[in-house]
Amino acid sequence: MSDKKIPTINFKEKAIELLPEGASFDACLTCGLCSSGCPASGIENMDPRKFIRMAMLGMNEELSTTPWVWCCTQCRRCQHVCPMNIDISQLVFIARGNWPQEAKPAGIVRSCQLIRSTDSTSAMGLPPDDFIFVVEDVLQEVRETQPAFKNLQAPMDKKGAHFFVNQNSREPMNEPDEMVPLWKIFDMVGADWTYSSKGWAAENFCMFSGDEEAWYEVIKTRVDAVNALGCKVWLNTECGHSYYTMWNAINRFGMEADFQLESLITYYARWIREGKLPVNSDWNTNNITFTVQDPCMIVRKAYGDAIAEDMRFVVKSLVGEENFIDMQPNRSANYCCGGGGGFLQAGMTEHRRTYGKRKFDQIAATGAAYVLTPCHNCHSQMEDIGHHYGGNYGVVHFWTLICLSLGILGENERTYLGPDLLALID
Amino acid sequence: MKEETRHFETELAVVGSGLAGCAASIFALNRKIKIAQVGNTGAVAYTTGYLDLLGAVEESSKAVENPWDGLELLKKSHPDHPLSHIPAQDIAEGFRQFTTFLGESGIAYTGPQETNITALTPAGTLKKTLCVPATMAAGPQAFAAQRPCVIIDFHGLKGFSAREVVANLRHKWPQLTAARVDFPDMEKGEIYPEVMARALEVAATRTRLAELLREAAGEIKTIGLPALLGMHTPDLVRSELERLTGLTIFEIPTMPPSVPGIRLREMFEQVFPQKGITLIPQQKITALSFAPDRAQLNLRDNYGPIVIHAKAVILATGRFLSGGLEAHITGITEPLLDLPVHQPPSRTDWYREQYTDRQGHLIHKAGIEIDASCRPLGKNGTPYHERLFAAGIILAHQDWIRGRSGAGIAIATAYKAVQAAEDLLHARI
Repeated sequence: MSDKKIPTINFKEKAIELLPEGASFDACLTCGLCSSGCPASGIENMDPRKFIRMAMLGMNEELSTTPWVWCCTQCRRCQHVCPMNIDISQLVFIARGNWPQEAKPAGIVRSCQLIRSTDSTSAMGLPPDDFIFVVEDVLQEVRETQPAFKNLQAPMDKKGAHFFVNQNSREPMNEPDEMVPLWKIFDMVGADWTYSSKGWAAENFCMFSGDEEAWYEVIKTRVDAVNALGCKVWLNTECGHSYYTMWNAINRFGMEADFQLESLITYYARWIREGKLPVNSDWNTNNITFTVQDPCMIVRKAYGDAIAEDMRFVVKSLVGEENFIDMQPNRSANYCCGGGGGFLQAGMTEHRRTYGKRKFDQIAATGAAYVLTPCHNCHSQMEDIGHHYGGNYGVVHFWTLICLSLGILGENERTYLGPDLLALID
Repeated sequence: MKEETRHFETELAVVGSGLAGCAASIFALNRKIKIAQVGNTGAVAYTTGYLDLLGAVEESSKAVENPWDGLELLKKSHPDHPLSHIPAQDIAEGFRQFTTFLGESGIAYTGPQETNITALTPAGTLKKTLCVPATMAAGPQAFAAQRPCVIIDFHGLKGFSAREVVANLRHKWPQLTAARVDFPDMEKGEIYPEVMARALEVAATRTRLAELLREAAGEIKTIGLPALLGMHTPDLVRSELERLTGLTIFEIPTMPPSVPGIRLREMFEQVFPQKGITLIPQQKITALSFAPDRAQLNLRDNYGPIVIHAKAVILATGRFLSGGLEAHITGITEPLLDLPVHQPPSRTDWYREQYTDRQGHLIHKAGIEIDASCRPLGKNGTPYHERLFAAGIILAHQDWIRGRSGAGIAIATAYKAVQAAEDLLHARI
């Protein structure tokens, strides 16, 4: 972060503009449920209640410059527990946008720049041609080395496909074999799906940087890509904020989107219920225990408890009900892990781990051997805090465990399995 | 973007997610009625955890030792009071069902007894209440037996001071002393009971705290702590700490945001859906309308519009804090159906001259009026609709804060409203 001066904004004015009709900050009782329930409380000597009170007192300079706005992950738990429904994350979004580009955390800014650098909208800057190449290359290898999948498909730019499938850039860029379990699942259920060479990527750090114009541009590219292929459903794979950034932008900017936004979790649950994904927990002969992390961006901030229920249904089907231990609190009341909102990319490691202690305690209290989560930021953060605080758990994707249960998990697709799970496969 | 409206069909819709709404859902569950419950976060998180029935006969400053006798007095002096219309055995049954449900859901409570319990407050004062969480029960017992006891607080914790408790209580409990310790891993900055409670769900934290507590207790065998003994498994956390320390341990409520209320809210939000209730806890309904054969509730969440059709509705939307009533320059209104609100004749009559006036303030008795079947009255003085019932502190003619009767009104009126709704459901569906 540079020393360039941050302009001062009038937070009280902004806060009042943001309030829904009939609501009032006078309604804030200063009860502190927001701060009590916020893992960022205390970091940089700030918390949500303090933020609101300082806004009401006109302490604009302090709020305009506090680095805390990069430690708040905008997870909206404060609003969730507030009897007056006050949303502090919107003020944080405005504060972020107000920081000069040079002063914002470089990791977030750079990721946004990379997203805008190609039609892929990839935060790792992977251009469309490279994405096509990686997908074809991996597909070729699977067809050659896994006889059961010699006809596996990974369609690209297929017009009129039912599902437009996005992908977090981490897979094609860093761990391409992690795409394969997903393709196998689509193959098994007979899904009519396609990748797109344009707008295929899931992540959106432009939203986290508080840059509304850039956020719009990224989503415009993606919406145009789905419309161009005429797909019925934009299917968000295992990435948390991807859904929220798309859904929120379409509403916020009034965009034309002639398709539905859905999460892969909902379809996992549906396909299991319909018998298309015949998973079971018979493989878990050693009663290895699992818990699940609710990504804020798809549970509290988007679908609510309905998708949290689907997630639990899928996990229980996969590992056995008796081997599932829920975190407390859970579903919409769950805590953000501290990996969201660009925190992982912001270079504020010590603060991020302080934030993550709450999540670590939650996981530790379950005693589970593994955490399942359909979100890459949650995944990375929980791995990091596990190492940092001396945890003894692993973090796995849903697609990995689904294919494990179905007995179709290839050798290169087992990166996140610990020795206990590997022992059960071989 | 394409949005789909979600439809739910139910027998009973409960509007409100405070104590009254949650109690109504519990009683309806016990009667095997199909339920949908909707309501914004609500004020449950503010409760001390104590369930008061009647601690004072409103204007009287005298504490009520026996709430059942107190109810008889109330009937004479306050015949309009909602509790004056409900038989004592129904109130007792409501408390029994409510506390049994809490116990079965992981938060053990003492059941309703013949007399009130004299319970401790965070200010070191005493109050009368009917039922207390099991984690707090040893406090009143230690006080009654006048056992030597150490109240322990924590560096960085606001809203609970052991010294304050001792200073205010010592003349009634001479063997009381205070101590302060560091909570493990939270030695710096402001800390919240919620955070400490969640940390105590981890066995390693309990072991470390137990050592500090043993040291602070010295020779004394009973200790009182602010309410932070776990969030999800409070009884286990307490018994584990007792095992590790060899001490008798009890909790004292703290100022909000306090753990006992968050415990209840999180438990309701988890257990209700497991029991088959359609629970939409974070939203307020935007419209409630009635057709001859059913009611319709409209609301929206992040994901889109929701429509609920119900055969009966219980309105448990609370007073001003939760939005069940609204105060305007011109008067007090009920915003959902514009039900008539019993209220002082003009705004100047809302408050008495002295804020601490023992008679209380007239605005605190404002609310909607109901008939003998718990049906809110419409503008012409007859029930607004046969399918609409009401419960909780939205009801007129009670000052629950002054009467120490908030839970009593919530539980007892919810019990009656569900009974009345069941009569309607059975009569014709």
